[in-house]
Amino acid sequence: MAEEDVVISKRISSSRTQWPIFIALLVVAATIIYPLYFVIITSFRPNSDYLQDPFGLPGVWTFENYLNLVNTYGIGQAFLNSLFVGTISVSIILVLASLAGYALAKLPVPGQKYITATFVSVMLIPGPVLIIPIYLMLARLEIVGSYTGLILVYVATGLPFATFFLTLSFRGIPDEVIEAARIDGAGFFRIMWSIIAPMGSSGLATLAVLQFLGAWNELIFAVILIPEESMRLLTPQLASIGERFLTDQPLVSAGLFITASVPLLLLAFASKYIMQGLQVGVSR
Amino acid sequence: MTTASVTSRVGAASAAPTGGAPRHKPGGIRRRDRIVGLLAVLPAFLVVVGFMAFPVAFAVFISFTKTNGLRFEFRGLDNYIALLNDPIVHQVFLNNVTFLISVPLVIFTALIVSVLLFERVRGWKYFRVIFFLPNVLSVAVIGIMFRNAFGYYGGVNQALALFGIEPIQFFTNGSTAIAIIILALVWAGFGYQSLLLLAGLTSINPAVFEAAAIDGAGWWKRLWYITLPNIRRVLGFVFIINVIYTFSSLFGFVYVMTAGGPGFDTTTIDYLVYLRAFSSTNLGSGAALAVILFLFIGILTLIQNRVFKLGEDD
Repeated sequence: MAEEDVVISKRISSSRTQWPIFIALLVVAATIIYPLYFVIITSFRPNSDYLQDPFGLPGVWTFENYLNLVNTYGIGQAFLNSLFVGTISVSIILVLASLAGYALAKLPVPGQKYITATFVSVMLIPGPVLIIPIYLMLARLEIVGSYTGLILVYVATGLPFATFFLTLSFRGIPDEVIEAARIDGAGFFRIMWSIIAPMGSSGLATLAVLQFLGAWNELIFAVILIPEESMRLLTPQLASIGERFLTDQPLVSAGLFITASVPLLLLAFASKYIMQGLQVGVSR
Repeated sequence: MTTASVTSRVGAASAAPTGGAPRHKPGGIRRRDRIVGLLAVLPAFLVVVGFMAFPVAFAVFISFTKTNGLRFEFRGLDNYIALLNDPIVHQVFLNNVTFLISVPLVIFTALIVSVLLFERVRGWKYFRVIFFLPNVLSVAVIGIMFRNAFGYYGGVNQALALFGIEPIQFFTNGSTAIAIIILALVWAGFGYQSLLLLAGLTSINPAVFEAAAIDGAGWWKRLWYITLPNIRRVLGFVFIINVIYTFSSLFGFVYVMTAGGPGFDTTTIDYLVYLRAFSSTNLGSGAALAVILFLFIGILTLIQNRVFKLGEDD
């Protein structure tokens, strides 16, 4: 907890009722932090050490579990696969959603009402409905088992929200700036690149983080569309490790921490953007 | 959490302004703008129509056929009739209804947390981030974490052992397995929802509170007579997204925690769609189940929108 924040909130409200509330919040926070702490600590100890005294600090600290997962169970490869699929998906989403978002926010698109309505209504489609038809379609296109199919699905399922989100955030850019650039002779792509992208950068960053988290954490399509074990993404790989090693808690814990590490890092360093994205969802 | 967040986004969507950007420009430039605009929207639109809207139509078509994915034999409503008479479907639907127990639990927890956060005590912003933490984690991570914790060698049994209690096999019994999945749902969901409720609380006019405080209303009275009535709309919204989530998004938890077992005791509708799709010879049956689920959720969403429209008037 940073010093200055404590000082500031102290100044704002210094009533005596603060302490019980603070402690209650602390207890709730502990129910979230403790399980994670337990997983992290457990992942750094051998199984025998864990079974001896699960709640104490490890008698032996070791990276064995991590090395084991990387060398024997291909978790390193799965990590890279997830990183690859997530990055490509997010990049495509950002490009397509920026184009569509700019047009819907600032250009007179014919049939705009219907296009917006389509983007909004497909957001209501529950994932399970898509499983069978998507699988059959991609099988027909012969891209089941390749990342192309999976990325396509992530892009398609991410785009409606992304477009909606960017339309809203680009609307905040003043028309005068765009008008001025036009008068100076800037074309469509020039405006996108030198005005929309920099002025909408906060929205773009928020969106990138949210969509990356979505792709990184996704499970159903990653399971269904990538049957080949060597190509698996991280979440399905973790699921199969969790299933196989019921008796080895430290090993599974290491897998959990590896999978959770990227989202936790993003939350630590980009919480501003994540919380901003939340506001859009909350705003109404 | 995808559905919950997606649905909440849709809640926001209804507020989206739909009007174009009226500008006064010569016809030629305007016409060019229309073409450029259309071209810019087109790629995203085509991907979404091709891989979200079309699949739904395709699912409806599949549901009227008997198919292995290659050959489609038209069978009319046979799949639907078979599903309605299928005891497994009945059981699975009841399972989903049982999972609804999580809804009041999540909302109650979220409500308490939001009221606590609303007091803005020191470091409340950090608490906010901590409570949001489960939301950035994959259901695979949360599910396996809970299955581990309640596993034979898991933390919970180890703790029980300290009191001399024999290890409990939580996952060989349907009711305890459901209870643990519900616990995982509450753990994963309350933080985000407390932030939703907090937003509702923040929009209450502070003057109302001050007036009540001056009139001598205590903390509890203010909570009951001012706070709760003022956020009933947000509460209703959170209630519906939870119900929708319970019916459409438990796949991840079930997949990693119980695989639907023992028997079909923890199988949910969305997990059954997956089972029917990949372990049966008739995909039509799975598609029909998915379509039923879609209709059910569609009705819930309509109700939600109705309630919202009504709520906005007062």
